[in-house]
This record gives sequence, C-alpha cells and structure tokens, in this order.
Amino acid sequence: MIKKIVKFLSSLRFTLLLISLLGVMFLLGLWIPQVSLVSPALYSQWKQHSPSLVRTLETLGFTSIYASPIMLILWGFFFVNLALVMWQRIPLIRKRISLPEGRIGNPSTAAGYSFRASYHLPQDMDGSAIRGFLRKRGFTVIGDDEGFCGVKNRLSPIAFGLFHISFFLILLGGLISVYTRFTGMLDLGIGEPFQGEVARYNATPQLPKIGVPPRASFTVLSIVPMISHGTKTGLRVRLVDAQGVEHEADVNRPYKVDSTNFIVNQVGVAPLFVVKDSAGKEIDGAYFKLNVMGGQEDVFSLAGFHFRARFYPDYVVRNGAAATRSQEFNNPVFVITAERQGKPITQGTVTSNGVMDFAGYQLVLKELPFWIRFSVFKEHGLAIIYAGFAVASLAVIWRFLFYRREVIGAVRDEEGERLLVVAGRSEFYKSLTEDEFNGLFTTLFEKNGRTDA
Amino acid sequence: MSNLESIFFWISLVVYSLATGGYIYSFVFKNPRFMPKMTVLIFVGFLAHNAAICARYVAQGHLPWSGDYESALMGGWFIIAGTLYVGWRNKALQALATGTAPLVVIMMGFGVMRNPVLTPMAASLKNFWLYIHVYFAWLAFGAYTLAMAAGILYLMKRKSSASGVVNPSYDRFPSLDRLDELIFRYIVFGFITDTIMIAAGAIWAKDLWGSYWSWDPVETWSLVSWLIYGIAIHLRVTFGWRESKLAWMVILALSTVIISFFGVTFVIDTSMHTFQVR
Repeated sequence: MIKKIVKFLSSLRFTLLLISLLGVMFLLGLWIPQVSLVSPALYSQWKQHSPSLVRTLETLGFTSIYASPIMLILWGFFFVNLALVMWQRIPLIRKRISLPEGRIGNPSTAAGYSFRASYHLPQDMDGSAIRGFLRKRGFTVIGDDEGFCGVKNRLSPIAFGLFHISFFLILLGGLISVYTRFTGMLDLGIGEPFQGEVARYNATPQLPKIGVPPRASFTVLSIVPMISHGTKTGLRVRLVDAQGVEHEADVNRPYKVDSTNFIVNQVGVAPLFVVKDSAGKEIDGAYFKLNVMGGQEDVFSLAGFHFRARFYPDYVVRNGAAATRSQEFNNPVFVITAERQGKPITQGTVTSNGVMDFAGYQLVLKELPFWIRFSVFKEHGLAIIYAGFAVASLAVIWRFLFYRREVIGAVRDEEGERLLVVAGRSEFYKSLTEDEFNGLFTTLFEKNGRTDA
Repeated sequence: MSNLESIFFWISLVVYSLATGGYIYSFVFKNPRFMPKMTVLIFVGFLAHNAAICARYVAQGHLPWSGDYESALMGGWFIIAGTLYVGWRNKALQALATGTAPLVVIMMGFGVMRNPVLTPMAASLKNFWLYIHVYFAWLAFGAYTLAMAAGILYLMKRKSSASGVVNPSYDRFPSLDRLDELIFRYIVFGFITDTIMIAAGAIWAKDLWGSYWSWDPVETWSLVSWLIYGIAIHLRVTFGWRESKLAWMVILALSTVIISFFGVTFVIDTSMHTFQVR
C-alpha cells in the first residue's frame, strides 16, 4: 500500500495534475477579488452586496487564495512530488552521465539511433584520426577501431536535477523571507530624523516572526519630485545617515541598509502654516504632512481653528471652480476652508508666501516643502531566492541547449574497402541531430563518398 | 504618436495586412509562387516598422517599452524579426508568416486604438532590469508565436496530406516530422527566455515594489503560461506527445501569453504592471 502511494506521489502524472491544479488556483485568484489586491473600501462593498458568497469564499480561504490552506496543501504535495521524482531520478542521471564502457553498441544494429551512415575511409585516415576529430568537436570518446563511442555534453542530465533543486532554493528562501519579513510605511518630511523607532511607522507595521525591525538611522535632506507631461519621471530623495554619509534614493533605487529597503513611492506636501493675529504677531504655526495629492482633502488645526485643505499643484480657475492644469508644481495653491466649532468661517486660496484673512486673523503659507512616504521592507533569504532563479535559468539553458549527443561507430573491412560505420542520436531533437551528424561527417570526409547504410 | 511615426506605423500595418492576404491567397488558390513575394513584402513592412520605432524613439527619447500600444509595436517587431530570421535561415519556413503576420496585424491594430500618445519615461521604468525583463519577455512571446505558427502549418499540411488533395503550397513547408520538432524547439526557446523573464522581473520587483512576488494579475498570468509551456515540455519529453496533439496545445497555449501581455491590463485596473502609462 505504502509503495503504491509513494509510486503515485512520485509519478509524472501526479506532477502534471498538481501543476494543473496550481494553475487553476492561480486563475481563481485572478477571478475572485483578493484582500491583498483590492482596496478595503471595495472589498467591504462586495461583502455587503454578497454576504453569503463572501463568507463561503472566506471560509475556504479563497479571498486570500495564494496563502489558503488548499494552496499550501497543493504546494506541499508539489514539493513532496519533486523530492521523490528527484530521488528516483538520481540513479538514472548517474547512469546517463556515465560512459558506456564495455557495452559499446554495434552501429549497424543498435536500437534507438535515428542517424545511421557509413563512409569510405580514405587511405591516410584511420580510426584514431576519427576519434581525435570527435574529441576536437567536444565529444568524450572511448573505445578503439573495433567499436567506439563518443558523447557530447555528457553531464547535461545533471541540469535536470539542478532545475528541480532550484525550486527548493526558492522555497527555502521564500520561507526565510516570510519569517523574517518586516513591512511598514514611514512618512518623513525634510529635516526630520528617523532612528528606527517602531512607533514612528504609520498604522501598525508587520513585525518579523524571527529577527528585529530595521536598525536604521537617517535624516531626510531633500525631496525633489519630477513630473513631466503628466508622467512621474523621478522622485529624488537625499538623506544622511548617523555616520554623516549622504545617500540618494529614487523610484527603483531604494535606500538599502541592514537588509532593509526604504522604497520611495509617494510624495506629499508638508506646508509650514502660520497664524498671525491682527497686529501681525505669529501666534501659532507648524509643518503639516498633508495627504492632499490627487485632489484629496486633508485637515489641520492651528490656534484653535480647523482648516480643510485642498491642493492644486498647477492652479487654474476653470468654469469658476478651482482646478489644476497638471500634476506639475508650477503654480501650487491651497484652497482653504477655515472652521471654528465645526462651522465654516471663510474660504480662500493661499499661494506660497501668500496670506488668507479669516476672522481677524491671517493664515500664512511660509514654506512649502515635501514629505516622502517610505515603504519599508526588511527580510532575509533573498540571496537564496535569487540563487534559485539563477540556477533555474542556467539549468534550463544547459539541459535544452547543451543537450546530450551520442555517436557510436566502428571501422570495418568490407569487400577490400575500409568503411566507417556510425550511428548517432541525441536527446529531444531528432532532425537537428541528423543534420548535425551529417554536417559533422561531411566536414570530416570533405564529401568523400558517403553511402547510407 | 509623431507624424513620422504615424506614417511609418500605418505603412507597416497596411503592408503586413497585404502580405497576410497574399499568404491566404497562396493557400486558397494553390499558388506557391506568390509566397516569396509575400516574404519580400513582409520585409518591406518590417523596414517601415523599424522606422516607426526609430521615429518614436527620437520623439520621446526612449524605446517603446510599456503600455498596450508600445507593447504591440515592440512585440510585433520581435515576432516579425523572428519570422524573417527563421525564413532567412531556412526558406521552407518563410510560410510561418501565415500564422505570425495576422497576429501582428491584430496586435498592432489593437495597440493603436489604445494609447499611442508620446510619454516621457516613467520613473518606475528607469531600471536596467526593465531591458532584461522586457527583452526576454518579447523573445518568449516571439518564440511561442513561432511555435503556434509552426503548429498551424503542421495541422494544415497534415490535413492536406490526409485528404489527398494536392496543394503545391504545402510542398514549400518542411516535412511533418521537421515541423513537429520545430514546434518543440520553439517551445523550448520560449520556455528558456520566459524563465529568465520571470526571474529578472522578480529581481526588479523587489526594488520597485518591495516584494519579488506580489501575485499581481500580470505576474500570475505569466506564471500560468510558464506552467502551461512547462507541461507541454513534460508531455513531449516524458509522455511522447507530438504531432497534432502538440500542435493544438501550442496554438491554444498562446492565448495565455496574449492574455498576460494585453488581456489582464485590459480587464483589470489593479495591476501594478500598468506603470501609469495605460
């Protein structure tokens, strides 16, 4: 019984079944909305519309399908199958890479050879010259004139094992990465220092199950967003670490320290607003990291007043309403609504160094620097994953481009003439091999009277 | 799209369409002498195609890498380049254009209806892994398309042989055995480049999105198509699937690749692979 189970688990049919089932699960993940891929608002809307369907899918784990129990079971079986297949194939690989010493086949009758030919040997050529020629062409040759065998890319079957090992490397790296992964969001303005405090992250960061949060200490020196014709073309962030060394980060070029990537991906404005009284004296003021990009509204409070702010980076009045020509910071303007005790007092615009009067006070926009949102990821095991990718890529190239070719041959005397009788075969490509051997022996004999056997 | 690019783009599209019609004519009216002329026509279209890409490069300062229009422009280039290359190496394979040219015409027609506007290079694309990732992606698409075209030729030739109807156009094709092996060779080439494409994309994604794998819809479809071609290789090598079965498989499997490249971002808004240049 156990033997039967192991036989089934290690069969290629089971491999194909598993790959197909995994493929189906991946496709289901594209069709069923996934918690990690849709916005929380959209997800709860769906939940409200179809509560029983969502409940069923949630119970099955299909709304987080890529980490669902069914998916994990399939992956589990996949790796069991892979391990068993590899274990069973090791003797076969060893057999394939060994040279067939003592069992060199007869080129006229040996089975499984798609290429067969015989050639008249010139007077000045003997079997050793032929074997030397094959060696020069990359064949490992054994035997003598009575019978020889040449194998090219003899070790190619090892690539089969390497390709499958690469999956285990990716699995190992992936597991290490899952258990050591830290994820957090960090908003910093210009001049704002960060010393690795977990409390500084937005919301609650995902802490690693093994290991500690990132140990990083730096201060943001400058933030330069670049937008051209409506396309974000850059987001250059300069920062200085605790040792006084300056670093530059950009989209695609995270700041890397302590196995951590500080990815810059979102920019906002952090204006310095000041409230002055009727005598022009500053009574309150602060930098506010406002989340107002893309037309969103944000609020801030100063001197007992609440302010609702909308931001227009390239301000223009269109049909009597505030609008922006583009996302470029050509004419940055805030449209502010001042409120006291929840009631609007006044609404107006504030430009850089501009003033808005309200209730006998003035709201002054003194500076308009930026803040940057860092997506922070710390994890280990990536080197193992990348090694897995590299091994997989190299193994598949080795296996299919540097595939095994085998030629067997013998020098025979027939009716007073010396003949070279050869047979050849390769893995995967029959026609290609026939062409290759034809070309090989044509080169050798320079078209010296070939006769097909 | 600049004026110059527009002119060359439409020339290439019209010429590819004419060539497609010419190939169909050759088969329907059993006139194989027409085929070499169509290959020349495709080459002319390819020159215009190159000029369109150059004009776009000059106008926007970078090669077309992203968005449906640019994907169609570059993808079409790789497919036609592959078709011409194999046809130049082996004249019997010039007829592969029967399968590849119509696909390129449809792709480019779809692309030009989507977003041909000139855009600067988005910050998210400024990374040398982009070139490796996209280059190998298109090599894979090109190879899988050639496999599909070889599959179509195989089925047509086989049907013709079985029915006993003489059509000299099919004599220009390689033998059925060779076509069968060609299908496999193109799958293998596509699978190798697909593997490198996925690996390069994962490494790039780590720096761009913070995770080497996010189960983004485009990533997932790419994995599905990679698995399908992996299954095709297993079926061929281990279970001896060949001839009509393999031909049908590669024809159908190409749909997963087309969905990866064009279908997912057409249907789903949440893919990170849109790079703000839809």
